[in-house]
Amino acid sequence: MKLALYLTFPYPDRETFSTFFGEMIRMRFDYLELGIPTGTPYYDGPIIRRTHRKAMEGFSFSFLKEIVNVSRLAGKKNYALVYYNHFHSSTGKFLDDLKEAGIDGAIVPDLLTDYYDERRQLSEEMKKRDLSLIPFFTSSTPDSAIREMTLLTDSWIYHGLQPSTGIRVPVSIDLMVSRIRKLCNDREIIFGFGINSMEMVRELRAEGADGIAVGSSLVSYMDSNDRQGFRSEIEMLGDAVYD
Amino acid sequence: MYSEQNVDIIPEKWYNIVPDLPEPLPPARDHDPENSSIDLLNRILPREVLRQEFTSSRFERIPDEVLEEYAQIGRPTPLIRARNLEKFLKFRGKIFLKYEGATVTGSHKINTALPQAYYAANEGLQEVVTETGAGQWGTATALAATLNGMKSTVFMVKVSYDQKPLRKKIMNLYGASVFPSPSTQTEYGRRTLQEDPEHPGTLGIAISEAVQYALDHDIRYLLGSVENCVITHQSVIGQEARKQLEIIGEKADTLIGCVGGGSNFSGFTFPFMDTDVEMIATAATEVPKFSHGKYAYDLIDTAGILPELKMFSLGADFVPKSIYAGGLRYHGAAPALSLLIKHGRIRTDEVDEAKSLEAFRIFSRTQGIVPAPESSHAIATAMEYCRKPENQGKTVVINVSGHGLLDLSFVRD
Ligand SMILES: Cc1ncc(COP(=O)(O)O)c(C=O)c1O
Repeated sequence: MKLALYLTFPYPDRETFSTFFGEMIRMRFDYLELGIPTGTPYYDGPIIRRTHRKAMEGFSFSFLKEIVNVSRLAGKKNYALVYYNHFHSSTGKFLDDLKEAGIDGAIVPDLLTDYYDERRQLSEEMKKRDLSLIPFFTSSTPDSAIREMTLLTDSWIYHGLQPSTGIRVPVSIDLMVSRIRKLCNDREIIFGFGINSMEMVRELRAEGADGIAVGSSLVSYMDSNDRQGFRSEIEMLGDAVYD
Repeated sequence: MYSEQNVDIIPEKWYNIVPDLPEPLPPARDHDPENSSIDLLNRILPREVLRQEFTSSRFERIPDEVLEEYAQIGRPTPLIRARNLEKFLKFRGKIFLKYEGATVTGSHKINTALPQAYYAANEGLQEVVTETGAGQWGTATALAATLNGMKSTVFMVKVSYDQKPLRKKIMNLYGASVFPSPSTQTEYGRRTLQEDPEHPGTLGIAISEAVQYALDHDIRYLLGSVENCVITHQSVIGQEARKQLEIIGEKADTLIGCVGGGSNFSGFTFPFMDTDVEMIATAATEVPKFSHGKYAYDLIDTAGILPELKMFSLGADFVPKSIYAGGLRYHGAAPALSLLIKHGRIRTDEVDEAKSLEAFRIFSRTQGIVPAPESSHAIATAMEYCRKPENQGKTVVINVSGHGLLDLSFVRD
């Protein structure tokens, strides 16, 4: 399985972010997901929403480029998690900036729910710049939309298990994994949203997930400046993912 | 027309339309940036109900116990050819009624009250709470709770509480405690009364009170409409109707139903979504959510405790006129229904109280069934439809969501 780690960029400020990013980059994981801070992160839970507000001040594309550069040298793939709401009025320029910063692709969680009619257009714009559009699906994405987006893209796929990040409502992981697997065949599927226990990771693994993405559960270590705890959390996730 | 003993007509699974929608259903959103109202649902709804709300599965197996209860409360409900109404309208076509009023509580509401109460009892709960507008949903909750060995509390919109004393009696008979809302039982009710001691109440306020009461007393809240899992449960209506039509070799051209929160209409029509049948949703002119509402994120409850949903809405603090069709006074309509209306798959109509009363009288006299004031709106739409020359020869099915025997105070002698 693969491990994707999410950080809102740069939460809580550039300095603290750099410190924790420095810890993280020496550890084993595959994909770095950087949240581009925005005023309306609708599909994030309260923990990540708070990080968006805080990270806004420190954001710049030049700092993004610095961080992504280090990450690339460490052999990681780098993705932006960004709401279309944040850049749909300046799509071309924003995508150019992402590309220039060395980003490999973007997850756009509100594309299918709030901008469905623009999905092909965005996919085109990203293709032109050799950026991967990572399809983002949830339990409420209809079969037809999953099939279409799977054909429209060739990257891995992100599937949200929960209605928003960092919360836990009861879900049937087995049914969710088998449904999306049937619709996307052998595409790589990474599951995220609300993963906060090793038991969940093991269940996803057993059901045939290709990887997991974790974010909310890292925030508390940054808040308490607990570098040791941060490292061991990532190490535990790695143990569950890579054994 | 068909043997009520024919239990085979009751489906074994509920149908969830979400995976079959033409575009993604906009998800529930938190209202308050600091907290997660979606997470809070863990303390408001039975676990299994919450799981079904966010499921990706197209079908959900109906537990045997619930199937047994469905049979006990009168499922399958009859599909009746309305020959007298056809004659009255001089309609050269066929009109069928799917008659949800034939259940013991007199409306479709029991279809979802039973499973929700069953799941709550299964999870060890002793008490459930809800709100009611017209009284139909409160009645269904009260019966479902007592059948599953639980107590129930019902917050009833004050105008309906005053208009429909018999509703309170039947809920009491089923063991429920009933409070007029706004009430002094909750913080939100007390605040509303302080601002306006004569407040007539709204469904939005009553929902807020019921949800707050559930949180205050650590019990669970039952959902009457709007939410997706409710519509999934209500799919028994459409699945039965489809099978009943099939058995007699008929095919529907047009389905017509009324919309409050959208549960009876969606439950009736969604199982036909893979056909080219025409669908018409009737709201009340006094609650013009489709013609004057906005398709946007809005609150379910006035207090904003529950998450926001994207739907046609007049605004959560919309106070409608005191029409008798209490079940049609809700400010919004279920997200999946709203999406299909916006998409053009479902047409809408609006009928005012006078026109619905005329339909109510004609229908009572011709068919003998006294329809609920809510259902009378759908009947009015159907009557107009069947009078149009271009619709002659069609097969029209009306979902008569309830009977109006406890609403007769609305008919002047
Ligand atoms: C008989 C009847 N029909 C219709 C409704 C409207 O609700 P919904 O649109 O959820 O079916 C109600 C609600 O109370 C009702 O009691």
